[in-house]
Amino acid sequence: MTTETGWGPAARARERDLLERLSAIPADDPARGPIRDELVTMHLPLVRHLAGRYRDRGEPLEDLVQAGTVGLIMAVDRFDITRGTQLSTFATPTVLGEIRRHFRDHAWAIRVPRGLQELQIRVSAATDEMSQRLHRAPTVNELADELGVSSGDVLAALDARHAYSPDSLDPAVDESAGSPGVAAALEPAFAEIEDRETLLAVLAELPERERELIRLRFDEGLTQSEIASSLGISQMHVSRLLARTLTDLRERMTRD
Amino acid sequence: MSPVTLAFPADSVNVSLARTVAAAMAARADLTLDRLEDARLAADEAVAQLLASTPPGSSLTCAFEAEPGSLRMSVSGPWSDSAPPSTRTFGWTVLDALCTSVQARLDDGTLTLTLTVEGTVPASA
Repeated sequence: MTTETGWGPAARARERDLLERLSAIPADDPARGPIRDELVTMHLPLVRHLAGRYRDRGEPLEDLVQAGTVGLIMAVDRFDITRGTQLSTFATPTVLGEIRRHFRDHAWAIRVPRGLQELQIRVSAATDEMSQRLHRAPTVNELADELGVSSGDVLAALDARHAYSPDSLDPAVDESAGSPGVAAALEPAFAEIEDRETLLAVLAELPERERELIRLRFDEGLTQSEIASSLGISQMHVSRLLARTLTDLRERMTRD
Repeated sequence: MSPVTLAFPADSVNVSLARTVAAAMAARADLTLDRLEDARLAADEAVAQLLASTPPGSSLTCAFEAEPGSLRMSVSGPWSDSAPPSTRTFGWTVLDALCTSVQARLDDGTLTLTLTVEGTVPASA
């Protein structure tokens, strides 16, 4: 995926020239400094773009950009000009890796206390079991009765699922996605929408499962429990995926 | 029950506050988890709609009213456009699907989105 736009031939040639010069200088030579700096500066928009994907997750954007820049510097140092890839393509996973590492190191919400984690697992299992039994989703009070805990504890467990977890830190990006045919199947449902073009383009970027989730909830109007049983996953998982996908869609539709 | 009101600076970092309170109030209304999670997503979307055209440095208010089987949320704040947000957007489609009713009112530069999420109260509750 090319994330930078507006790079003219001059900038590309300059990048090529800098990379070639850099590859000729030994790793510990101070002469690398200015060349590396210029390459890093050229690719800062890429870092900003990638950091922007995580902007609604409670960490200051500037901190994310800083973490991502560390990744960019590492990528510039490790880049092998003979491999024939673009620096931006090569740097993207490293930049994202450093941004995620920042979350692991700094975002308090990642560390869900162990007791809460256990309760979360019990709440999730009880929700699915009770939904089957009652033919509808349980209420918080019913879950509290079933598990012998307070309704406040159940709520805390429900909130914790929306806190950071390793899987919610991966934005719903799938480079192999993008089959426009599937997104087009959604078209009638959103026929009246004025930003439909953008929506369909953005939907086409989503992985198949996320797109299916949007279709089931907002086109077919299924509840989260119904979606959970039709996809064979827990209601808790549906809830988390849906929240994440909506946030991701909103970010993608408002970018640029 | 008396309404619960939450006021916060118009910044996306505060969206999670509205979400969390929405879920807690949905539990008070004895809504099922499906409706509770809808209320959480709806709070998120409503605040996002306001953030789209709220001047920086202003403050948003979310008022929540829970009754058995029903949660009403009113999200309001200063609005810099002359018209309320278009109802023909994906965001609005999402709100419509999540809520029993959605209303937008623009009054003297203040936009208020009023959302209602309803469900049947289980007989055992």
